[in-house]
Amino acid sequence: MDPILTTNILNVVYEVSTLAVVVLGLAVVFGLLGVMNLAHGEFVMIGAYCAFFVQAQNLPFLAAVPLALLVCAVLGLVVERLLVRPLYARPFDTLLATWGLSMLLREAVEAVYGRAFRSVATPLTGSVDVFGADYPSYRLLLTVVSIALVAGLVWWFVRSATGRRIRAVVNNPELAGSVGIPVTGLARNTFVFGCCLAALAGVMLAPLLPVNPTLGLDFILKSFFVLVVGGLGSLVGLISGSGVIGGVESVVSAFLDRTYGYTTVLIIAILFLWLRPNGLFPRT
Amino acid sequence: MASFLGHSAALIAALAVLPQLVGEFWAYTLALYFLYAIASLGIGLCWGQAGFLPLGQAMFFGLAAYLSGLSLIHFKDSWLLLLLLPGAALAPGLLAYGIGLLVFRGRTLSGPFFAMITLALTLLAFQIANSWNDVTGGFNGLKNIPGLPGLSDFTDLYYISAVALAVCLLGIAWLRRAPAGVVWRAVAQNEQRVRFCGFALQNVKAAVFGLSGVLAGIGGALYAPQQNLVTPQLCGFLLSADLVIWAAVGGRATLYGPVVGAVLIGILTADLRDEISYWEVILAAIFIIVVLYFRQGLMGFVEPRFERLWRRRTERTLDSPARPEASGDTGLADAGFALDDVRVRMGSVNILEGLDLEIDRPGIYCLIGPNGAGKTSCFNAMTGELPVRSGHIRIFGRARTGTAADLLSRIGVGRKFQAPSLFPDLTVAENFNIGLWGGRARLRDLVRMGSHGWSSAILREAQSRFPFLAEEDRRAGDLSHGQRQILELVMVLIAEPRLLLLDEPSAGLSQAETQEVIEAIRWVGGRLNACTVIVEHDMTFVRELADRIFVLHQGRLLASGTVAEIQADERVRAVYVGASA
Amino acid sequence: MTKILNPISRRRFVAGAVGTGAAVAAPAVLSGARAAGEFKMATFLALSGPASLFGPTQTACGKLAVDQINAAGGIGGRKVTVIPADGGATPAEAAKAAIRLMLRDKVDLVLGSHNSAVREAIVAALKGRVPYVYTPLYEGGECNPNVYVTADTPQQQVQPSISWLAKTLGAKTYYLIGNDYVWPHKTNEQAKKYIAAAGGKVVGEEYLPLGAPNKFEDAVTRIKAKKPDLVVITLVGGDNVNFNRTFAGFGLDKSIKRVSYLLEELTLFGIGAENSAGLYSAMSYFVNEKSEPNAKFKAGFAKAFAPKPPPLSMLGADVYSGVYCAKALVEKAGGTKDAGKLMAAANNLQYRTATGTAVMTNRHVVKDMYLAECKGTSFDIVESFKAVAHGQTCS
Repeated sequence: MDPILTTNILNVVYEVSTLAVVVLGLAVVFGLLGVMNLAHGEFVMIGAYCAFFVQAQNLPFLAAVPLALLVCAVLGLVVERLLVRPLYARPFDTLLATWGLSMLLREAVEAVYGRAFRSVATPLTGSVDVFGADYPSYRLLLTVVSIALVAGLVWWFVRSATGRRIRAVVNNPELAGSVGIPVTGLARNTFVFGCCLAALAGVMLAPLLPVNPTLGLDFILKSFFVLVVGGLGSLVGLISGSGVIGGVESVVSAFLDRTYGYTTVLIIAILFLWLRPNGLFPRT
Repeated sequence: MASFLGHSAALIAALAVLPQLVGEFWAYTLALYFLYAIASLGIGLCWGQAGFLPLGQAMFFGLAAYLSGLSLIHFKDSWLLLLLLPGAALAPGLLAYGIGLLVFRGRTLSGPFFAMITLALTLLAFQIANSWNDVTGGFNGLKNIPGLPGLSDFTDLYYISAVALAVCLLGIAWLRRAPAGVVWRAVAQNEQRVRFCGFALQNVKAAVFGLSGVLAGIGGALYAPQQNLVTPQLCGFLLSADLVIWAAVGGRATLYGPVVGAVLIGILTADLRDEISYWEVILAAIFIIVVLYFRQGLMGFVEPRFERLWRRRTERTLDSPARPEASGDTGLADAGFALDDVRVRMGSVNILEGLDLEIDRPGIYCLIGPNGAGKTSCFNAMTGELPVRSGHIRIFGRARTGTAADLLSRIGVGRKFQAPSLFPDLTVAENFNIGLWGGRARLRDLVRMGSHGWSSAILREAQSRFPFLAEEDRRAGDLSHGQRQILELVMVLIAEPRLLLLDEPSAGLSQAETQEVIEAIRWVGGRLNACTVIVEHDMTFVRELADRIFVLHQGRLLASGTVAEIQADERVRAVYVGASA
Repeated sequence: MTKILNPISRRRFVAGAVGTGAAVAAPAVLSGARAAGEFKMATFLALSGPASLFGPTQTACGKLAVDQINAAGGIGGRKVTVIPADGGATPAEAAKAAIRLMLRDKVDLVLGSHNSAVREAIVAALKGRVPYVYTPLYEGGECNPNVYVTADTPQQQVQPSISWLAKTLGAKTYYLIGNDYVWPHKTNEQAKKYIAAAGGKVVGEEYLPLGAPNKFEDAVTRIKAKKPDLVVITLVGGDNVNFNRTFAGFGLDKSIKRVSYLLEELTLFGIGAENSAGLYSAMSYFVNEKSEPNAKFKAGFAKAFAPKPPPLSMLGADVYSGVYCAKALVEKAGGTKDAGKLMAAANNLQYRTATGTAVMTNRHVVKDMYLAECKGTSFDIVESFKAVAHGQTCS
C-alpha cells in the first residue's frame, strides 16, 4: 500500500477516535441530564495542564492520569452541585451558566499559568512501521487506546446494570425515580464521569497539542458539532458524528489545508443546525 | 411624549459634557466602548425583548467594520462615502434579516439552536476574514484606514460615537414603547399566541434580528475610521461573548442595561486587567451569578422604578381600523370549512383516520367525543399545527391544507386553546392590543404610539360584560384561571374572526362565569355572523349553545345532528358507555 | 467612577534596585532642555500567544539593560521606568494599548519585540509621535517615521544561509511552511528569489493561521509525499516547536533537512534533542557565540538573575541591544520625542549590543550573521558571515 495513503488513513483514524473520546463525556452528560456542558472543553484543557504540571515536577507522565481524574472529579462535583443541579428546569440558562463556567476556568488557568503555549514532551518517542509508513508510536498508541476506551464504554453501557439504569433514566426519569433508581445520585455521578473522561482525553492529547488556556474552546465547538451532526444522545450518532466531523476535517486538511478543513466543518455544522437539527440519528 | 423629550435632553446633555470631565484618553476609550455598546444594544433587543439569544453579533460588527474600512481606503475623500458608509452599517442588518428569515422559517422555537447557529456563523466569518488575504488583509487586517474626513483628534471621534449612541438609544426607547416593542415582548412569552393573533412570527423575529444587525453595523462602521485598523478578531468569538456578557450584566431587558454593561465592564476591564490578575475570573464569576440569580442585571434594579414614573397608559380613544376583508371570501357559501378524508399520524399512532367534517353556514357547533377521539387534533390539523398526511382542508371556500396559523388568523380564523394561552407578563391592555393589532396594524401603525389607543365595539362590550377586563393595568399572569380563560377568549373575539375554534372555553370557570361566557359567545357569533366550533365536555354548555353537534370517535366522524338527535343516537351512547367502562 | 475622573498610573515597575544615590545624582547629569524626571519606556514583549515562550528572556534582558543604564545615570540623566504591555496580544489590542501608553501614560519611547502584524498596528497607532525601537528579526521594509529597527532582515538571514545550504547540502527542492501573516510571506518572497538564484526549485508552500491551535500531521504528510531536500520554516514559537516534533515523529528527520528562520535556544529546547537532527538556524546571535563581549554579557546576565537565571536567547539579547540603542538615540538627539531630530540622530548611530557595538544606517543595522546546525538542544555554528548588509533604504 502507498505509504502516503496509509499515513493519511491513520491520520483520519487518529482524528476521529480521539474526537470520539472527547465527545463521549459530553454526550453521556447531555443524554442523561439534558445538560449541554459548554465547559466540557475546559475540563480537557485542565487535563492537559495536569500533564504539563506533572512533567514540570519531573514525575512520570502516567502520574498525570490520577491527578487529572482527581482534579476534574472534585471540580465536577462542585459544579454539578452549584451550577447544574439548580438549573435542571432551565436548560437555556444551564447553557449560559456552563458557558460562564468555561470562561471562569479558562481565565483561572490563565491567571496561574499565563497565556503562554506550553509543550509536554511525548512519553513515547520514535515511530512504528505500519505497512511501509513510518507512523509516530505515541499517536498510534493513542488511537488504539481511544478506540478501546470508546468500545469499552459502549459495551459497559449496554451490558452493565448501571448502564441499564442510565438508559432507564434517559428514557423516563420520573418512572425511573418511582421504581427506586436514585436519579439525583446517578445524575451527579454521570456529570462527574463526563468531566473525568474529558480530563483523561486532555492528558492523552497534551503531548500533541500546544497546551494553552484557550485549548478547550476548539474542542467544545467540535464536540458540539459532532452531537449536532450525529444526533443528540445516541451512541450511533456519537460515532457517526465523530466520523463525519473528524473525518471531513482531516480529509479536507490532507487535500487542501487546515483552514479549509475547519471551514468545511463549520459549514457542515451550520447546515445541520439549520436544516436537520436532530442530526443523522435522532433519538426517538 | 413630554417625558420622552425630557429623557432625551438629559441623555444628550450628559454625553456632551463628559469629555471635558475625563480628558483625552478616557474620551478615546469611551468612544470605543460606546461603539461596542451600540452593538450590545442589539443583543438587548433580541434577548431581552424578543427572547432569543444571538451568540454571534461580532460577525455583523466585523462585517460592517471591513466594509467601512474598505470604503474608506478605496474611496478616500470621495462623495461616494456618503453612500458607502451608511451602506456598510445597513448591510449587516440585511444579512441578519436574511439569516433570521431562513432560520426562523417553519421553526416555532428558537432556543439554543439559534444561538449555536449564530455562534458557528461568527466562527465562519472569522475564518473567512483571517484567510481571505486579498480582501481582508488576513491576520494583519486592514491597515492604515483613513479617518472620517474632517475629524482628527480623539475628542472629535468621541462626539461621533456619542451622537451615534444617543440616536440609537432614542430610537430603541421609542420602539420599546411603541406597539412593536409590545409585540417583541409578546414573542418572548408566547410565540404560539403571537402567531395565532396573525403575526408572521418569522418576520417579526427576523426583523428584530435585522435591527440588531444594523446596530452592530453602526458600531462596526464607525469602528474602522476610529481605530484605523480592522482585524479578524472583530468578527470573532471573544467579542461576541463580551457583547452578551455586557448585555446580561448590565440588564438585557432594560434600555440602558447593555450600554451600562459595555461601558462599565469594558472600562473596568481595560483598567483592571493589568492590575488585578484575577479580574477576568471575577468577571466570569459575576456573569455566572447574574445568570443564576439576577437575571434582570444591574439596570434591572434601577430602570423599572423610573419607567413606572414615566409610563402612563394611553386612553382608548380611537376605533381600530376595520379588518381588511380578504377578497373573494365573502358570501354565505364560503362561510365555513370542510375537512375531506383528513389523516394525521404522530410517530406510529394514527390520530385522525379519514376525518370528514363540513360546516357551510354561520352558527354554533360543538365537537364532542371521548378522550383521544381527535377533537383538538382536528383543530391542530385545520390550523397547520399538525402535518396532514393525506386529505384536504378547505376554509372559506379555499384550499387551506397546511396553511400557517398566522395567515389563517389574518383571513379570519380565531382559535382559543384548551389551557389559556396569553402573555402573562404583559398587562391586560397589552394583551388586548396584540389581539387588536394582529391582522389590522400595518408596519407604520406598529411604530406609532397612537396605536396603543385603539379600541373596538367588541372590546367595549366585553369590558362591560366582564368588569375585571376594564382593569387594564393588571398583569395578565395575576388573573385567576377563569379570568385568564375569559381574557384569551376576548383576545380572540376582538380580532373579529369569521371562523372561531374554541377548545373547552368553559374549563375551570365558575357556574356564573360559564353562563357569561355562553352569552358572550352567542352575542359575538351573532354579531360577527361567524361560524363557531366548540370542543366541549360540559354537556349543559353544549345543550345550551349548540345548533348542531358532531361526534368524533377514533379519528373519524361518528355522528352529527341536533342535540336531540345525538342524544337519541345508539352509536354515540355506545361509544360513551364504552369509553367510561 | 473616581477611576475615570482621576486616572492614576497603572502598575509599573521601576526596573531594578536603583539606589537613592542614583536618583539623587540624576539631576547632575541633566542633558538637553528636558527637566529631570523619569524616562518612561513602554515595552511590548511576548507575554502571551504562540511567541510567549520568548517572554521571560525578553523581559529579563530588558530589565538587565535598564538596570545597567539606571545604575550609570539613566537616559540623559533621567531614570528609566518600564511600563510593560503585551506584544503577544492581537494587533488590534496592541494598537489600543499603544494609544493608552501614548495618551494616558505619556511614554517617551516604545520598544517592541513581537510579530510584524503587531508592529504595523503599533506604528499606525503611534503615527510617529513617539519613537519606537523594534528589535526582533523581521521581513524588512519598515521605513515609517520615528521607527528604528535593530532587527535581522531577510537579506541578512536568508540570502547567505540559502546559498550556503544549497551549495553544502546540495539542496535542489524546497518546501516552504510558515504562519499566515506578513513576516513569513515576505521572507519567503525573498527566499524564493535566493532559491532560484541558487538553482533550486520550490515544490510546495503553505501557511497556517497564526495563534490558532494548529496541528501539523497533514502538512507533514504532504511534505513526506513531496520529498523535498530542504524545508524552509517560518513558523513562530509554539507552532515551530509542534511542527518540528511532528516532523521528526513521522520519521522525516532521517531524510529531509530543515532550516528555520526563527529558531533560537528556547524553541530548540521545546523541540527537543530527539527531534532536532538535520535542523539549521540562521541568525545574528547564538548564546554560545564565542566573543569576549558576549561572554561579558552572559556573565552579567547570570549574575543579575542568580541563582536561577531564565534561559537566554537571541530574542532577549535583541531587547538588551534595543534598550541601549534607545539610550544612544535619545541622548544623541538631545532627549526629544521629535521624529525629525531623532531620525537625523539615527544616522551612523553607534550603540552597545550583547556582542559588541553596532552602527545604524537607514534606521537598520549591519550585522555579522551565523548559520548553526542543531546538535541535540544546542547550536553548533557551522559558518559565519561578516558585516552582512541589511538591504534597506529608509531615509
